[in-house]
Amino acid sequence: MNATRKWILHRISAIILAPLFVWLYFSFLSLSKKNYQEAIYFFENPLFTILTIILFLVGFFHIKISLNEIFEDYIHNKKIKDVANILALILSIITPVIILILLIYKI
Amino acid sequence: MKDNQNPISPHLQIYRWHISSLLSITHRISGVVNLLALILIFFWLLTLSIGENNYELFLLAINSFFGKFILIGFTWSMCFHVLSGVRHLAWDMGYGFEIKTANISGIIIIISSLVVTIIFWLLGRGLV
Repeated sequence: MNATRKWILHRISAIILAPLFVWLYFSFLSLSKKNYQEAIYFFENPLFTILTIILFLVGFFHIKISLNEIFEDYIHNKKIKDVANILALILSIITPVIILILLIYKI
Repeated sequence: MKDNQNPISPHLQIYRWHISSLLSITHRISGVVNLLALILIFFWLLTLSIGENNYELFLLAINSFFGKFILIGFTWSMCFHVLSGVRHLAWDMGYGFEIKTANISGIIIIISSLVVTIIFWLLGRGLV
């Protein structure tokens, strides 16, 4: 991915994430005082399930680009930087995939 | 050659903090904290899908004193990162670069992130 495209996608993902994050935090805080049944009931709404999945997919995409930038600035050893970038890539693929599976099949 | 007496810049121990630099590094740190928050939300969904007993345990943990402390911190981190992100987007479009404007928008973001955190917490936790 070239730098300009990366830069633009980073901004676009930020714009998508801002409202989603506000919504998810608000829901999470409300549900943190309620019981199991109410949390399950919350995710019976397919819209909320889809929004959560989008948040994790776009969120970890945003995180991956951000982590690459941070590693670029602070890690000077090229080998360590490459390993760190690979770990960031794995984290940002695995987490949303697990969330996708959990929300679609388990809840 | 004699020792060069020129100051080494930017040198963190003698660096005078400005609102711009403070907010710049806080934006990064809050971003990393948001990653931790997202991982906590990941565990929230994980325990929710594993079953009621695990979920009750998770609720117990986040409703403890330490848990609430973490939740408030995560909420502030999210509010700050979103607000500061809007400021960055304005800069990306070429607005607000004057030193005075940047300082004022910085102060607005610090104060509003605290206010929004309080509102969020009160409404979200049903305390109002």
